[in-house]
This record gives sequence, structure tokens and C-alpha cells, in this order.
Amino acid sequence: MSHHLFILSPADSPIYSLTHHSTRAAASTVSPLASNLPTWSTSAFAGTLTALSGASSVAQHTPSGPVKMGGGQDRHVIQMIANASLDAIEDVMRKENAMYLRAVDKFNEWTVSAFVTPGNVKFVLLHEAKNDEGIRAFFMEVWEMYVKAQLNPFHGLISSSAFDGRIRASAKKYL
Amino acid sequence: MAYSQPHPRLSLLSNSSQSSVDQFSPTSSSTRFSVPPTPSIHSTLGSVKPPSGPRPNIYDRNLNKTRTSEVSASAFTFLFSEIVQYTQKRVGGINDLERRLNTLGYRIGSRVLELMAWRAESSSKAPKREIRLVPALMVIHTQVWKAVYGKAADAIEKSVENADEYMIIDNDPPIERNISVPRDMGGLSCSSFTAGVVEAVLDGLGFPARVTAHGTPTTQHPCRTTILIKLEKSVLEREEMLK
Repeated sequence: MSHHLFILSPADSPIYSLTHHSTRAAASTVSPLASNLPTWSTSAFAGTLTALSGASSVAQHTPSGPVKMGGGQDRHVIQMIANASLDAIEDVMRKENAMYLRAVDKFNEWTVSAFVTPGNVKFVLLHEAKNDEGIRAFFMEVWEMYVKAQLNPFHGLISSSAFDGRIRASAKKYL
Repeated sequence: MAYSQPHPRLSLLSNSSQSSVDQFSPTSSSTRFSVPPTPSIHSTLGSVKPPSGPRPNIYDRNLNKTRTSEVSASAFTFLFSEIVQYTQKRVGGINDLERRLNTLGYRIGSRVLELMAWRAESSSKAPKREIRLVPALMVIHTQVWKAVYGKAADAIEKSVENADEYMIIDNDPPIERNISVPRDMGGLSCSSFTAGVVEAVLDGLGFPARVTAHGTPTTQHPCRTTILIKLEKSVLEREEMLK
């Protein structure tokens, strides 16, 4: 089970991203469409196509054994889902005053939760299982780390290994 | 030739030091003057406060630690004076100067907002943002002013003529206490810096606006300054929708 975190600046450009593979088991939900999918999807857009078709993942059979590819797990699909959720986030944040927006958008197996700081920085998290309390606690720690990073005059694109380490530690703790 | 001689400090390391240099080197000074050698900085500090290893990195520090700490007004005034002088050397006119001060304030405002909100909301279960205009302006008038200047602003007014204009008034802005604008620079208000802070806070909260500062002296308050907020049209439309 994996999680994907993106931190977006007020101008919606990504300033930090993290992929976290949780060791906790998730109840796998197999989309009925997945089994019906042809195995032609080997092109560069295979991931996008399978994701759009509603399949969670497709096992590809190559001579070296089954290789899991495509589905909603491809990097560019993840980014596309995160980007697409921005519209939903912006709609909700105009009306609601909560910073933590739980399950603001859904796409196939992915649920998108977000956290909007008062300075209009967005934390977007793609996750598969419901874990409201854990995600809230995770976002609160990310927020604290972000405030600290921002107080440093040399921050821009956050590239500090200390920041990365702290975020990974809290991802491990809560997700 | 003075340049060809090695630096006195370097001469301590290199054994080939010349006698003329040695006279001025720190080691020979104790024999020339009858002042007892002062203990080194390390030993004096060491007795007061033992060194506690390497500095903790910024992510390990507590953000609430400096919540109530204050900075001296003169340090702040000196710093601001330098900011104005530095900026003035690099601009072509008063408008440019005000714009640059505004930009500097903007960078501070966006940080102040985030830090202030974190301190207020981080312990809450469901942290909230401000999404209504008037409460947001009240937050700026009291909380932001307190965070930046240590006191609340004096008044907040809505323009009678224009529905999209609001004013925050400070009778005695701390950053202008030691500033007297020369006559040929009439119209300059160093509070443009404050305007930048306000603009950043409004922008962050989702109320884009153009914020400017104007000196509006009265006989009672010669430094009285008005921060004029001109909101963008989208803000008023959104307010209308939320009603």
C-alpha cells in the first residue's frame, strides 16, 4: 500500500513530493474491470489508459514472470490524479474553513485528502485506505515542518535532507 | 613594502616570521604592555554555560519557544533604517522605493501568517482558516499587528465611497517613530513595508488586494498612517456568495 504526498506552493507548483510505501496491509479491492482488460497496453500511455479504464492494476506477463505495471501506480498517473484534484480542493476551500479536507476527491482506487495552510500552501495526499485520524496527525506534522522550513531564509524548493527525513519518519509513524 | 609581509596571524603558523611583524603580533603584546593577559573567550564562556555540542537543526526546535520573546526597539529601528537606506540606493524614485519596501514586507507577511496560525491552531483537533473578509481584517488589525509590532492597530474603517476599500489605521506606527521624510520626497511612506505584510496576509487567506500606505497626520498624531486596502473584484463576489 503506498501513499503519495505533494506539497504545492500558492501558485500550485510542486515544492516537495514523497512516495511512501506502508508496510501495513490493506484490504485489496479488485476492480471487476481489471480482469477484462486486454494485455495490449504496453505503450507509454498504458498506465494512463488502464487508470482511466478503472482498473487498479494490471499484471503483465513477460518471459521473466508477471510484472506489475500500469494501473494507478505509474508516476505520471499519480501526478495527473493529484493535479486533477486541485479543482475539487479549490472548490471546497472557498466554502469551508477547515484546513484538513478529508477525502476531497476520489479516482479509481485513490482517495485524495488535502490540507490547506493559511498561507494557501496545499498538501495533497493520495491514499488507498481510509485512515482519517492518522492522516490528520501526519498533516499536522508536515505543517509544522513546513513552517520551520519556511522560516529559513534559504528555503525555496525544499531540498533539505533533514526535512525529508522528518517527513519520512512521520509518514512511517502515521500512515 | 607592507604588502609583501605575511599577515601577523599567519606568521604564528609559519616559522619564517620577520622581526618587524612580530612586534605587532598578538603573542608579543603582553611583553610590551603591563596588562595581564586576558583569559581566552572559551574559558570565560565555558564556566557560565557549557557548550552543548552542535547546534540542533531547525526542524528539532520548538516553534513556541520564541512566542513571547521580544526584540529591542532600537535593534529593530536600526535594522529597518538599514533596510530603507539599502533600498534607497537601488531605486530610481519614490514609487520604486515604496514598491520594494512592499515586496520586502510581503516576504515577511507570508511567514508571519503561517507561523501565527500554526501557534494558534496547531493544538486544535480541527484547525481552521479564516474565509470571511471582515473577520480576516480583524485578525490583521489585532493578531498580525501584535505579532509584528507588539500592539494592535488603532482603527479599522470601511470606505464610504468605494465598497472595495478598507483602511487600517495606526496612530503611531513603531517603524516610523524615528523616521522623518525629507520635504523633497513628499508622499513617501515607509509604512509601505507594513502594507506589504498586510498584502501577503490577505493574499494567503485568499483575498487578493492591492495594499498601499499613506501618511495621514493629525495634530494629535503626527505619524498617523493609513494602510489602504483595495480588494480585487473576485473577493467581493465571493463574499456575496458566502452570505
